[in-house]
This record gives sequence, C-alpha cells and structure tokens, in this order.
Amino acid sequence: MRERIAGGYDNFVIPFMIGIIFLLVYLFIGLIRILKHVPGEDRKRLFLSFVNPKIIIKDLRDIICDCLLHVKIFKRNILLGYMHASIAFGWFMLIVIGHIEVALFVPQRNGSLYYPVFYRFFVAEQNYTLKGAFFFFLMDFFLLIVLGGVGLAMYKRVRSIAMGMRRTTKPCFADRVALYCLWSIFPLRLLAEGFTAGISGGSFLTKPVNMLFANFFGNDLNIYPTWWAYSIALGLFFLAMPFSRYMHIPTEVLLIVMRNAGLKVTRPRKGFAEAEIYSCSSCGICLDACPMNVQKKNINYSSVYFIRFLRRHNTRKINEIADKCLMCGKCVVLCPVGVESCNIKMAQRGTVTEKLPYDYSYLQEIHAPVKEKKEKVLYFAGCMTHLTPSIIKSMQKIFEAAGEDYYFADSDGGLCCGRPLMMAGKKEAAKELIKKNSELFMASGCETIVLSCPICLRVFKEEYRLPGIKLLHHTQYIDSLIKEGRISVNKDDTSFVYHDPCELGRGCKIYDEPRNVVAALGELRHASKEKKESICCGGSVGSLTLNFDDRAKITRESIKALTVENPDKIITACPLCLKTFSDQSMVPVNDIAEAVAEKIA
Amino acid sequence: MNKNVMVIGGGPCGLEASAQLHKMGYNVILIEKEKQLGGHLAKWDRLFPEGIEAKEVLQPLVDNINGVKYFLDTEVVSINLLDKEYNVILSNGITVLSKAVLMTSGFDLFPAEKKEEYGYGIYDRVITNADLEKFFATGKDPRVVENPKRIGFVHCVGSRDEKAGNRYCSKVCCATAVKQACEMKALFPDAEIFCFYMDLRMFGRGYEDMYLKAQKDYGIRFIRGRVSEVSETLEKQVLVKAEDTLSGKPLKVTLDLLVLMAGMQNAKSGIRIGEMISMKRSDDGFFTTKGSILSLQECDKAGIFYAGACTGPKTLPDTLNEARAAAVSIHNYFNKEN
Amino acid sequence: MDFGYSLSPSSRIDLDLFDRNRFNTLAEIEPDVLKCMACGSCTATCTAGKYAKNSLRSAILYLQNGQDKQALEYLKPCMLCGKCFMVCPRGINTRHLILSILKIYNNAK
Repeated sequence: MRERIAGGYDNFVIPFMIGIIFLLVYLFIGLIRILKHVPGEDRKRLFLSFVNPKIIIKDLRDIICDCLLHVKIFKRNILLGYMHASIAFGWFMLIVIGHIEVALFVPQRNGSLYYPVFYRFFVAEQNYTLKGAFFFFLMDFFLLIVLGGVGLAMYKRVRSIAMGMRRTTKPCFADRVALYCLWSIFPLRLLAEGFTAGISGGSFLTKPVNMLFANFFGNDLNIYPTWWAYSIALGLFFLAMPFSRYMHIPTEVLLIVMRNAGLKVTRPRKGFAEAEIYSCSSCGICLDACPMNVQKKNINYSSVYFIRFLRRHNTRKINEIADKCLMCGKCVVLCPVGVESCNIKMAQRGTVTEKLPYDYSYLQEIHAPVKEKKEKVLYFAGCMTHLTPSIIKSMQKIFEAAGEDYYFADSDGGLCCGRPLMMAGKKEAAKELIKKNSELFMASGCETIVLSCPICLRVFKEEYRLPGIKLLHHTQYIDSLIKEGRISVNKDDTSFVYHDPCELGRGCKIYDEPRNVVAALGELRHASKEKKESICCGGSVGSLTLNFDDRAKITRESIKALTVENPDKIITACPLCLKTFSDQSMVPVNDIAEAVAEKIA
Repeated sequence: MNKNVMVIGGGPCGLEASAQLHKMGYNVILIEKEKQLGGHLAKWDRLFPEGIEAKEVLQPLVDNINGVKYFLDTEVVSINLLDKEYNVILSNGITVLSKAVLMTSGFDLFPAEKKEEYGYGIYDRVITNADLEKFFATGKDPRVVENPKRIGFVHCVGSRDEKAGNRYCSKVCCATAVKQACEMKALFPDAEIFCFYMDLRMFGRGYEDMYLKAQKDYGIRFIRGRVSEVSETLEKQVLVKAEDTLSGKPLKVTLDLLVLMAGMQNAKSGIRIGEMISMKRSDDGFFTTKGSILSLQECDKAGIFYAGACTGPKTLPDTLNEARAAAVSIHNYFNKEN
Repeated sequence: MDFGYSLSPSSRIDLDLFDRNRFNTLAEIEPDVLKCMACGSCTATCTAGKYAKNSLRSAILYLQNGQDKQALEYLKPCMLCGKCFMVCPRGINTRHLILSILKIYNNAK
C-alpha cells in the first residue's frame, strides 16, 4: 500500500474532526461528572472491579453481547436484533479494520483520528494483491452488512410492527438530526469509496459502484463532494449525538462496567443514574411493555419519556411520571440496555417524600414474644393477606397436612415489611421498619420464614439481613412439600392459568415453582403474556397517583391475557392480585394455596 | 288483534303486573326461571317494618293471577323484533309473538363471597341476610350456634362500594338489618347485638319507629363504622375489626355470628335477556329507563317495559306500585297503537 | 366584651380557622380527598393503628375543621402499607392522599 496524498491530510476531514473532538471532550467531561457524583464507596468499588479478573471477563462478555451483538434484542425479535447487531457490529468492525490497516501499512499515521476513517481516500492499493484483496474485501463486506442494517432501520420507521414493535417513540429534534445523519453516513461512504475505487482500489461492492458511476459521469469530479458529504455526515452525527438517543452507544459501555461493579441508583439524576439515563436508546420497547398503555393517554408516562424528561430537567413532568408508575418492572426486564428505571423513579419520589415527617416511636414498644417453644418454621402472612383470609386458612390447612411445626408470626397483624415505603421513595423510614422486623425475626430462632405476600418477600430478599434464615414464598414451600412427598394432592382435569405477580416473578425471579404446583393439580394452560412478560393486575401499591378507574382498565387487560385459552380458573400467588382480579374477573380466581388446600389428599 | 303481553320474571312484581294486565283483558304469558313463583319473596320469612309474614303477602299475589298463562322452569332462548312485534322463543319450545314485553326480572343478591375480607364461605360463623331468613323459616343452619352470645350485622355488603363494583345504596338492607337484629334478639334474649353501619337510611313510613324500637325495646347497639376485616379465632369465633367513628377509635369485637347484609344488583338472568336486544344499562348495571321521573316504566325501545328491581334497588311496596304503573303504561301503549 | 375566660383555650371547633386555600391545593393534587364518606374502614384496617393513633379518616376531618396540626399527628405513624387503599369503598387513592397531606401541611402550626 502506498500513501496517495502527501502529508496525509485534506481539508474535507475538518467537519469530521470537529465532530469527533467535540464528542470526545463531551464524553470525557461527562465521565468525570458521573464519577464525581458517585458516592465514594461506590467509586472505590468501581476501581476495584477493574482489577478483578472475574468482573473484567463479565464486563467484556456483556459489552460484546449487549453493545455489539445485541443478543437481548435478538431474543425478542430476530429481525430487530439483526438490524441492531448489523449496524453496531458492522460499524465496529469497520473501525477496527481501519485501524489495523493503518497500523500495518501506514504506521507513520498511527494515532491520527481521521486517517483510519478515510483510509481509502489517502491510500491506494491494487485489489489483486493479497493485502488489498483481503482487507478491501473485509471492508466492503462489513460495509454491506451495515448498509443492510440501515436499510432495515429505514423500513422500521415505516412499519415497526414487522420487527415486533407495536409502538415506537416520537423522536425529538436532535434524534432526527442524528438519525438522518446515521442513515446517510454509510450510503455516502459507499459512494465516496466507490468513486475513489478506480484510483485507490476496492472490492466486490465498491468496484462495481465505481464502474457504474464511471459510465454515468465519466470523470472523477464527484470524488471530493462525496468525501466532504461523508465527513459532514459523520461530524454532524457526532455533534448531535450527546443530545440524541445515540448517546446510548458510548454510555452503555460505562453502564455495563458500573453495573457489574455492583453500583446502585442513589440519586435520581446524578452519578450512576446519569449513566442509566444516557444509556437509554429510546428504542421504545417499554412502550409496548407498560401495562398503563392499555389507555392511549398513558403512553406519555412510559419509562422512555420519563428518561427523556430527566435529560431535559423537566421537574414537573419527571415527578408526574415517577408518581404514576406501577413499579411492575416489566419495562426493566425487557429493556435491551437494562435501564433500571424503577429504581430511578423511586429515587425521584424520594426527592419529594424523604423530607416528609414520620413518627415511628411506637416501634420501641414492640418486643418479640417470649416463647417456650422455638418452631423452625415461621409463617408471615403480611398486611395484605389479612384481607384475603382464604389464603391464611389454606396455608394453615397445608401446614397441618404436612405436619409442620410452625408459628404464625402475624396472626394478629404485624408490622409492614417496608417495601411500600421504599416504593414511595421513603428509604430512611423503611430502614426503621426493616431494622425492627429483622430484630423480631432473629429473636424468633426460626430457620425458615414462609411468606404469603411477594411484596414482603422481595424486600426481605433485597434489604433484610437475616443470616441463617431461609426465605420462601408459599409457592416455593408448597412445591417442596409436594416434591418431598409431605403432602399429596389429587390431580383432576381442571384447567388453570397461572398469573405471575410482578413482585414474585420479575421481582424475585420465581417462575417455575408455582407452575410445578399448578401442574400437580390439573392442566396448566398458557396466558398470552406470561412469566417475565406477565401484565400487572393493576392493584400494585407501586403507583402513587394512578386512579381507581385507570387501574380497573389494566385489570381487565390482564384478565384478558390470562384467559386466552379459556381456563377454568385463574391462579395467582399474591393477595393483592387475588383481590384485584376477584373484583373484576368472570373466571374464578384463587390463590395457589387455596387451590392446593382444596385438593389436598 | 293480538293482545299478548310477555312478562319475564315471576316474582312479586311479575305476579302483580300479570294480574292487573289480565284484568284489563290482555293475554298475559308469564315466565319464571325457577321451579316456583315468588322470587326472593318466596325465600323470605318476614317483612319490615311490621314483621308481616312473607307468605301473607305472596299468597294473595299468586291467587290473583288466576287465568294467566304461566310457565315455570322456563327461560328466554331468544328474543327479537319482527315488524313491531317481539318474537320470543322459550326454553320449553313455545314461541310467543307479543307487542309488549315487560321485564320484571328483578335483582340478584350481591355474592357476599366477593368481599373476601368478610370471610363468607371461609369462616364457619359468617352468613348472609338471605341465609338468616332461611334460618328464621326453618330454624336450621349449622352456622348459627346454640345461644350465640354476640351477633353482628354488617350493613352495605356489596353496596356503596366501588371495590365491589356497586357504588349505589341498595335501599332495603338498613331496614332489613334492623328487622333481623330485632328478630334475633327476640330469639336469643341473652345475645348482644351490634349493627355496623355507615349511614342508617330509615326513609320509609314506620322505619324510624322500627329503629327506635330496636334501640329501646331490643337494646341493639348501633356502631357507626364499616367493618374492614374479619378473622377467625381458635374457637372458630369471628373477630371483627371496625372503627367506631363517633369516638374516633378502632375497635374489635369477637362474635359468635356475623350476618352480612348483601345488597342488590341487576339479575344476571335479566341482563342476559337485555343483551339479546341491547337494552341499555347504566353504570350501576341496572336497566336505563326512558326518563328518570316521568317515564320510569318505559325502555327507549318501543314495546319494552320495566317494573321492579331491574331498574334499581326497590322495596316491596315500591315494586308492587311499579307493577301496576307498568300495567297502565302497557295499556296506554296498546291504545295509542290502535 | 371580654369576660376574662380567654386563658383556657376553647375546645370548640373553629371553622374560621379552616385554611381553604391550602385545602384547595390539596384537592387539586389529590381530588380523592373530597370523596371520603367517613366510614372508618381505613382506620379499622390500619397496620400502624394497632400501635399508635393513626387515622386517615380523622386526619381529613381535622383538616376540614382547621386543625391542621392534629391532622398531621394522625398520619405520622403511617407505614404506607396500602391496606386502607384496598378496603376503601370509595376507591380513594389513600397512599397518595397521605403523602400529599404531609407534603402540603408539613409546616402546619
């Protein structure tokens, strides 16, 4: 290979250089800002993660899978996944190969920002040499891949449903600028490299383009304008990037590294949260996910818009959306980037609610009961379960049938677990309840706590420190009783569908045990949306402002999804879901404990 | 001319309307889905405010329909409008062509098990107002223990309750509760009796007197607070939680028997028929009448008439008056048509 | 005329003290405050109410009677568990109402 342009510089690289330098400076400042706002302890944890080989490997794997190959999107929809992967991975390879070419053939240009990008302009090579044939082929090949992706992206704008998306986000101005630049970058590159292929060489893609256009124009006058256009498109894209959704491309890497280091959201807008916010690709998968969107008017309350308003510092809107959210977590598990918007919303609620007065001095008066006997199993029904006595009665029957020596801890009502307070953003207040409850449980001397309420279970698992105590939801407990043969149930031909409560499924990742139990009772049918895609019952204590009528609409939608295969019964495993569904459903609704107690042999 | 009138529902309303229409010379066809006439009245023991026996009211109503064609155990299979006449196909195979159809399909009692926190069907000592009437009539109910020491009545079960889907007041439960409370006290003089109410609606003639008697003569304790949850003690008694809103304190009480005053909702059987020819229903689930004051008996579909509890909760006297009013409305309708 | 009884504060509710503007602000943020029919379900079922004086029904009443400070005292022990939301026959969004009262009347005298 030989340098075609002496000095290795041409004016057309200026727009590109402005863009890329601006972007790099912006990213650098942003990085410093985020690190500054991360609490000291977290910062230490982050730096330590860079010397922990396990975390490094995880970082690399996640970056390759999520940022380049977009495995999560592939799992959702192959075409959508291919679109993302082809652009990201293809572009990445173009950059990498460009740099390899520079390093191998024009090492004197190492370190130049623009040289690898405009390599074909500056360097000439015959395509029949091995070097030329190989690298030029690779470059053309990846360019083709990217072009395919861009084509799909354009098609998606017109018909998103083809890629499994019913709704997509409304792009803002910067999004549009960046989007059109992105669309034009690669076709322009093809043209630029095509026009230049006669001089600099090319491969299966650029050569034919060259010949085609040479026939039209018969001269090389188009070379400069296309390289200029290509450079301008790139420069504009980089300039618009910090203000557009495409900021997710660089930020996601930071997010992955921070998340793997174990960082958590502490403030709604700063530190780790900022990394989350800028990692949002605004793809709009959360639009279809959000259960509130059964009503069109609620679309503006989706996580993607919440994050957009966070970026714009629109406090009124931010609070409005944060308060409305049901905290069902569906947008979080489906988010291809894994933005934990629920945590950001809780932190945001905290900015308002943490300051509010509370008085839990009565906690001091509560003491663990003095008991002679120390039962190994403790049953904690939870506040809500006291409104669904059928669950309590059924659990008592099951405990007796299994011959379990258990203690009913909150038979006369207990303290709240703290999760509702956390969801309202009152973390400090929640800590007081968590501390008191932990004391009481540790004093009981139990080995296992069986809980009926998934809301309690989740906060027990995430926030309580109960060394030596196993936490089980009653679905898990019943499943183990059946597996160990401690109870047996009569199976018949009743058909059931199982509803995954948000806090049990997405919250605690318990999907299989309840299904095992239901399958032991009768025929298990499917819902149109289930497991991690299950639709919230609408009764969630997560939302602060969603009113009763809007909730009822969500309930109906959820029931509709559950009854697509006409089951005889809907089975759920949360007192809140049970109550909410029972009010609306035509199909009988039971808790899993009721269904088991009914058929106990 | 065809003077057929189809009456759907053989409760007190359907009976009275049929009798009146028959007297006016119409050819009445009355159908009842149950195996006996009388609807809820046939299952009730005594009626407020004076405590008259339900039989005493029902018997004359049944006697009066002499000459009316009626079918028991019969439902409407289909109904549709054929050139100004309704073509009604019945489950017994008979087809009726009738210019006027009177809906006297009445009400269903709110299924008390839907308010799970009250434990109906879960706890042994919880019954409904209807169960209690049956107990009065037969003297038998395993859930009513011998000599109960404390008995509670919960007003507004499935009424005035958005969560139950019924925002409206069912009108008759307050008076029924007071009546039943007095009867229980008479049966079990040693028992303490509590009525948990939100507002006591003693609107009718003689109702306030009944309330006064309940306080003065029977010593019924009225607690202004809605019961929020019920649990079971080890002795299978029920522990009731409410707020005594007048003293502003939460209270609990252990009871031997809890009676739930289940409210009214539009009868499912009536709704099913209504849907066949898309009769309008309001938010509360009851059929929409043409006007809210002047034309209470008419539907906005010509030839369809309403009487009784299918257009909202009503007392028995209200219902019987509506039955007569509907007969007049139907008569006027026939006269206008000719 | 002053008969010199003013030393002992009156136990009578003084509706002149009712802060209408503030109550309207509350009703704007959470209109459900207007829906309460004082049935007491919330107080009866209250998890915190077992241990301390906690009553949303009373708090609303105190607000309407111009006794803002008492209203706050009746809400401070609340653990936001949401049981009251489940039992309210009027479907009042109780948790948001409680937070809104605490927010708006936080500096009540």
